[in-house]
This record gives sequence, C-alpha cells and structure tokens, in this order.
Amino acid sequence: MSAVTSPARQASSGVSARTINRIVIYGLLALFALFYLMPLFVMLVTSFKTMDEIQNGNMLALPQSPTIAPWFKAWGETCVGLTCAGIKGYFWNSIKMVVPAVLISTLLGALNGYVLTKWRFRGHTLVFAMMLFACFIPFQSVLLPMATILGSIGRFGASLQNATGFNFGLGNSTVNLVFVHVVYGLGFTTLFFRNYYEAFPTELVKAAQVDGASFFQIFRRIMLPNSMPIFVVTVIYQFTNIWNDFLFASAYAGTGDVMPMTVALNNVVNTSTGVVEYNVNMAAAMIAALPTLIVYVVAGRYFVRGLMAGAVKG
Amino acid sequence: MAFLEIDGLKKRFGNVEILKGIDVELEKGGFLVLVGPSGCGKSTLLNTIAGLETITEGQIRVDGRAINDLHPSKRDIAMVFQSYALYPNMTVAGNIAFGMEMRGVPAAERQAAIDKVAKILQIGHLLNRKPSQLSGGQRQRVAMGRALVRDPKLFLFDEPLSNLDAKLRVDMRIEIKRLHATTGTTIVYVTHDQIEAMTLATKIAVMRDGEVQQFGTPAEVYNNPTNVFVADFMGSPAMNLIPAKIGANGSGLSVVLDREARQPITLSLPGAPTGLAAFKDKPVIFGVRPEALTDPEGAERNGSEIATADCHIEVVEPAGSDTFAVTNLGGKGVVARLRADARIQPGTSTPLAFNLSKAVFFDPATEKRIL
Repeated sequence: MSAVTSPARQASSGVSARTINRIVIYGLLALFALFYLMPLFVMLVTSFKTMDEIQNGNMLALPQSPTIAPWFKAWGETCVGLTCAGIKGYFWNSIKMVVPAVLISTLLGALNGYVLTKWRFRGHTLVFAMMLFACFIPFQSVLLPMATILGSIGRFGASLQNATGFNFGLGNSTVNLVFVHVVYGLGFTTLFFRNYYEAFPTELVKAAQVDGASFFQIFRRIMLPNSMPIFVVTVIYQFTNIWNDFLFASAYAGTGDVMPMTVALNNVVNTSTGVVEYNVNMAAAMIAALPTLIVYVVAGRYFVRGLMAGAVKG
Repeated sequence: MAFLEIDGLKKRFGNVEILKGIDVELEKGGFLVLVGPSGCGKSTLLNTIAGLETITEGQIRVDGRAINDLHPSKRDIAMVFQSYALYPNMTVAGNIAFGMEMRGVPAAERQAAIDKVAKILQIGHLLNRKPSQLSGGQRQRVAMGRALVRDPKLFLFDEPLSNLDAKLRVDMRIEIKRLHATTGTTIVYVTHDQIEAMTLATKIAVMRDGEVQQFGTPAEVYNNPTNVFVADFMGSPAMNLIPAKIGANGSGLSVVLDREARQPITLSLPGAPTGLAAFKDKPVIFGVRPEALTDPEGAERNGSEIATADCHIEVVEPAGSDTFAVTNLGGKGVVARLRADARIQPGTSTPLAFNLSKAVFFDPATEKRIL
C-alpha cells in the first residue's frame, strides 16, 4: 500500500531500518570481540610492565616504562618447580612432540580417507563409523587404560635395551605422547580427509591406474598435491589441539625435564618464590600461545580455494 | 582371429546381473562403438576392458592374449574419460607424460613423445599450462594426447564428447575420425549418441539392459535392425514403426495400414521376406524410415518397389535441408522426409511414395525382425 502511495518514504524508511540493523550487528560483534580480546590485552600489557608498576598501577593501563625483561626471564631464568632455567627447554619439548604427532596423524588420516573412498572394501562404512567413534570418546576415560599400554610399551623398550643396547624410543615420554596424540587424533583427521576425498573425482584415480601408477604413487602424486585445503585445516586443528593439550601431557609426562609447554606453564605459575611475578607469568603464557597463532597466520595463507579447478568438466 | 575378442562376458553385482553374456569382436585398426541408452551397461563393459571393474564370467582377449585378470596398467590400453580426468596439479606436459613417467621412460624420450603428440593435436603452445587454464575443447585434446602418447594396443573412449557444446562436439568428432584414419589405432568408444555411433564406427554394438541387441557395421545396424529397439534407437528422426496387418494379394502378400476415418492403405509386397507368409491376417509392426517415405518426385527413381498412396498431412516441419511431414497411419504419427522445396500444405491429401525395398517388419509379440 505505502509503496504505491509514497515510494520515496518507503525507500527512506527501508534505508534507516537497514542502518539500525547494521549498527546492532556491528555493535554486538564489537562487544564480543572486546570481551574476547580483553584478557589478551591484559596479558600483553602486563608482560611488558615492571613489578612495581603492576603492584601500584591499573591493570588495564599501558606500561609506563615498557621492558622486555620479563620475556627473557620467562624464556631463560624463571623457575619451573625446582629447576630455574626458564621455559625454553619445555618449549622445545612441545615442538618435538607436536610436529611429529601432527604430521603422522595428518598423513595417516589422509591415507585412511583415501582408502575409505577410493579403495572401498566390504564393511568400509562400519570401519569409518568406528573411527568416528574415536571423536566422541571422553579422553578422561582412556587415561588409565592408555597408561597401562604405555607401561607395557616401556617394559618392552627396556627389554629391547637389554637385548640390543637400544630402546628404539619405546618408553620415552615424548614418543609416548606422540603415540597417544596420533591415536586419538586419527578419528578427526580421518573424518576430515574422508569427507574431502568423497567429493574428489574418482576418475582421476582410475586415469592414474590406467597410467600405471601404484597405490602409493596415486596417493603421493595425485591425492596429496590436490589436498592442500583440507591438509591445512587438519594441520591447524591438530596443531592447536595437541599443543594446547594438558590432560595427556600432565598424565604421561607430568614431571621432570620431559614436560611439554602446557604442564611447564602450569608449574611456572604454581612455583612460589615469595612474590608472584605476574609479568613473567604473562610472558610465559604468551610464549606458550604464540606457536598456534603463528600456525594460523602462516597456514591460513595457503588456505586457498579452487585448487581442484580444471580437474574435470568445468 | 580378431584383435579384440570378448567372449561370454558376464558381470554381477550381488544378485544383479549388469552384463548378461557379451560377445563382441573387433579387427585390428577397427572402431567399435558401444551405444545404448543410460544404464544399458556400455560404460561398465568399457571399464571391464580397461580393468577398472572385475568380471564375473567370460574372457577378454587382446591380440590373442587374455587380459581379464591383468591390472589396468599391464593391459597396454589407454583411456579417455568423460570428465577428461586431467591431473589438476600437473601441467599439460606433466599430464601427458605421467604414464611414461610411471613406466620409467627416460626424460629425453618422454620429451620427444610429448612433442610428437603435441604436434598431432596442435597443443604445443599449451604444454606449460595447468588444466584449469584450458577451455573445454583444449582439455579434451590434452586428454586424448595423454592416451595417444602411450601408443597402446587399444584406445578406450568413455563418452568423450558429451561435455562439449554442440558445435565443438561436431568438430571434435571429425577430429577423432581423422585421428583414427591417420594413426590406424584400434578404438572402443562408448556413447549414447547414435549419430556419433553412425559417423565414427566401423562396428556398432547396440546395447540394452546388459545385452548386445545387435552387432554389425553401421549400415547393417541402420538398414537391417534385428528388433524394434534397434530400429527405434538408431536414426534421427527415428524409424516409423506402424501397427499394420498382413493381407493376401492374389498369390503375393500386402500390408494394410489403418487410417482414421479413411479407407485403409493397402500396399502389395512383391519382395516380401519369406517369414512374413506366416503372419497372413495377423498384426505386424511395419517399419519404414522417414527417408523411405517421401514425395513421389523425390523417391529413388530406380527403386524397384515404390508404392504410392494418398496421405492426409497433419503437420509440416521445414528444417531447411529437408521438409518433414507428419501423417497418421495405424493410429500413430508417421514422419515422411520430403525435399526441401516440396510444395505441401498441412490439412491436405498428398501422394507419398513408400520405398518398400527399405521397409522392415517386426513381430509385435517378440519385437523381433521377421525375415
């Protein structure tokens, strides 16, 4: 009705309604972003403040005399439990654990997805369903059984040590954690890759078969080079999960020199040497959080669409 | 002994029989087209030749050697897929050379083979591009190049033209025909397009429901269809299949075509097939192709069995090169193909010439040809 009688007014009221919508949406988004970023901001400014300033000043205020001394102290000098050599050792522990765990679980997930979609066998849906089940298991429930298994592996490693003089890494805490994270990451990585390869043109696999490529040649030369988007997604997901994991890390590598970063950070904060050095704690927490941020920034850039363009009719 | 021999090939998925005993053979340098409607098993048959599907029974031999238990790569075949299946991560040259690379051919030899094929297909300027940077026709050429470079015993084409637009399809069809003529390769080609089948093939196998309905040269399949399905499937516009009755005409036979509200047309059949005598006074299906039903001036002058009858024209379709007229015989619309300049009006009666030497008869019960 109004559109017929006064189209101009109709249009202007439409515009203003849209503006209000926009304001509400952006306002809410900004509010949530503020909530989300506030702790990060506090951590960041605190890590650059001196202890005097922290004790006397406002938590949200910018540092008056910025210093990077807390970062150096966190990296090289702060006490974790009884040893006071900073968190750098534990940082490398985490790297040594995360890189193999992410790569192995991602590659195995890709291989699983490849088999479950392109080399189907009788009962492949059942196998996939059971692998999916791994995504729903609460990890607390597997702590004890896994500890038993790791114990057996450790004893086997010890007897290998006696027999051959070398334990092949069995019983090593880092190797144990890699094993645990690979096993419990497989459900997710398989799910990601299977769903990606489900839509992957099977004719490419057939063409490669006719061309004489073997099972692994097809995987390496055809499937993997065309899996960049899902590869990046899986790596980001696995890296974040494994790096941030505290439960398995504290259960299977919770003491001594083998602790990963997350456990060490917890111990830094809990170690009391008189004053609580908030600036050092915050700097240590920032260092612990950096790798996941870097993975997002670096890997996200390779998250390009349209890699499959031109494979089949288009 | 033929070059490609398929003997009693059967393929079952569980209890469902997809291919019900296929017997086909092809001479060296031949061009076999498997044609049929969707779901007739023609692509499955091609995949079994390629080794991408296993077979349940029977044997496939190439050049005297049974290949049905060999891995696809050991069969010395090359295949062009419907979707081209180019590897998106490799350049055109990489795509073409991939098969040779997998077989461990030295790099210099590979390069020479790529150059040779690129010259034949005129894709030399595309060799460093990725498939995503090519047009449909170019992708088609690269897919053919990938097959051609291997110099295999047998080429398999799985509906290679179905993704191209109409004009490009005709161009590529000619290209494939020229390629076959110049290289003398042996080809098995799957299509659902009967025109592709007619134009390309030296042998056609018309398939339906996992069975070969007819196997023969294009002329045999077109002129002497063995059953109603083949007659209807091959040819465009399709053959007129008119319900009719066989009558006696003195010592000979005649065919009687009913018409709505008019006297039936009776055409005497001096050269009737011998089997037709058993159908006297019984219904048959009278098959006549549109080009065998034409205006008297356009009929073959030296045709021995031309019979003329007045027909009521319902619709006239000028198609440029020909004019199609639709009349009603035996309760069905019947298409006649006239000269482009035939003067004809819808709603009038016009004499049409039946070329009875080209006519065929089918048993309505079994749908088989009466010989």
